[in-house]
Amino acid sequence: MKPTDPDESRRASWRAVWPSLVIGAAILWAGIGSDIELSRVANAGGRIAEFLSRMFPPDLSIAREAVDATLETLRIAILGTIGCILASAALGFLAAESMTPRAINAPVKAMLALMRAIPLILVAMLMVGAVGLGPLPGILAIAFHATGMLGKFYADAIEGVDRAPVAALESAGATLLQRLRYAVWPQMAPDLLRDTVFRFELNLRESLILGVVGAGGVGFYIQTYVRSFQYDKAATLTIIVVLIVLLIELANTWLRRLSR
Amino acid sequence: MTAADSEFAAVLTGVFHRYPGEVRDSISAIDLTLRSGERVALIGPSGAGKSTLLSLLDGRLRGFRGGAIVLSNALDARRAPPRNERAKVGFIFQEFALVERASVRENVRNGRLGRVTQMAALFNRFSEADHSAVDRAMADAGILEFSEKRADCLSGGQRQRVAIARCLAQEPQLMLADEPISNLDPLRAEKILQLLGQTVGRRNSTLMFSSHQPVLAMRYADRVIALNNGSIAYDGSPEKLDRVLLAEIYANDKGSDCPSLRLVG
Ligand SMILES: Nc1ncnc2c1ncn2[C@@H]1O[C@H](COP(=O)(O)OP(=O)(O)OP(=O)(O)O)[C@@H](O)[C@H]1O
Ligand SMILES: [Mg+2]
Repeated sequence: MKPTDPDESRRASWRAVWPSLVIGAAILWAGIGSDIELSRVANAGGRIAEFLSRMFPPDLSIAREAVDATLETLRIAILGTIGCILASAALGFLAAESMTPRAINAPVKAMLALMRAIPLILVAMLMVGAVGLGPLPGILAIAFHATGMLGKFYADAIEGVDRAPVAALESAGATLLQRLRYAVWPQMAPDLLRDTVFRFELNLRESLILGVVGAGGVGFYIQTYVRSFQYDKAATLTIIVVLIVLLIELANTWLRRLSR
Repeated sequence: MTAADSEFAAVLTGVFHRYPGEVRDSISAIDLTLRSGERVALIGPSGAGKSTLLSLLDGRLRGFRGGAIVLSNALDARRAPPRNERAKVGFIFQEFALVERASVRENVRNGRLGRVTQMAALFNRFSEADHSAVDRAMADAGILEFSEKRADCLSGGQRQRVAIARCLAQEPQLMLADEPISNLDPLRAEKILQLLGQTVGRRNSTLMFSSHQPVLAMRYADRVIALNNGSIAYDGSPEKLDRVLLAEIYANDKGSDCPSLRLVG
């Protein structure tokens, strides 16, 4: 490349400025195009205060219901995780370049990418439409959405397996099952465990909110109480959600310290 | 098995092999008979075909032409030998081929997998004999002191000794070693060659090992086979392989310009 070429330098400076132009245009368009009345926020002070005051004090009489809802959320997360582990084991194997021909692993990889690209809340809405309200659509939605990520992780773990020790054990007389047990599994197990725990944590977080579209768990009750203006009850559940998220964080820190 | 069969550890007749997509044979026109109890050093410049020949004897080489009988089992160019045959031939890999995330002991114990029933092994149930063979192999290879360390926490020479111990624990009738002393200090190297020789002598098994240290290797072998460009350039006693012949074997390789350096044992 000759820096003295005037055409080339003009092209270079264009390449440098066009991202800024695009970003600037996007901001202008977003700000002007929609009817966002900032004044509403300014005038809403009273309403916000009222809204908050109706949340206080949180109605603890629904404690029983709250616990049940929380357990339902936990159940959705656990069953959804089991579902995505099973699907990921199968799809991860098919997506691994070291296991299947390209004609199989490439489309499966693409499918996994698509599965994780569809927002969970959208999947949940579709599942509610398909199987009705309750925890079942939540479980199915979690399993489907999480497989997009976990299947990819599993495929990575499978592809990371070094074949040399597997061949060495075969040469020493180990059977296929023995090779899987003593050469393949020890190489993958720590990764699989780490990825699965990570995905379970995400599933738990996400299942808290799933109920908003009718797919069971705490979210379902929050949404019901907000719609019927029982903000004090919704507040109780919101506190529980915050507590659960904090608990997840604590467990996470503890686990990370353990695995070091 | 008749007495005549067991007299030979391996018989190769007119064996050729070429890796897919290559223009040159990796080994060509190999005629070779290994007698039981022999200790054979395999030498020759890099790329001469040593690893290929060893993997052929180990039953891992696919697509060769010619006849290959190992421990009275005729090798099939298309598939691996049956389990009991594989268990009889032990191999020490040039790149060690250890399970990195497993402990030293587990790696050595893997050498026993060909001898235990499948179910017992899947549930980690090894016999007393297995455990004592593993302990003895680790003691012999001098790795007992770090037997519980993970393989990926070891030095190159330590890892090599784990690979050696795995093969010892297997108690094979034919022991094949691909550069088993490449990562060892001179003292250790001698000790390991001595150990392999003694083990083979004690069990009346057969040893074939490759090495880039011909002078050292010759001291622990009763037969030397030199490969060059995939063919056998010398096959005979170590005593008759003099410096001139040795220099010739290594000089034929375009890449190595200073054979005398290699002769330092
Ligand atoms: N997997 C492979 N695919 C293609 N060619 C190969 C393969 N492995 C070895 N070769 C070629 O076959 C020939 C013999 O290789 P081999 O590994 O047997 O040599 P070697 O004597 O063991 O060498 P070194 O002393 O460097 O280990 C070489 O020309 C090498 O390039
Ligand atoms: Mg080699």
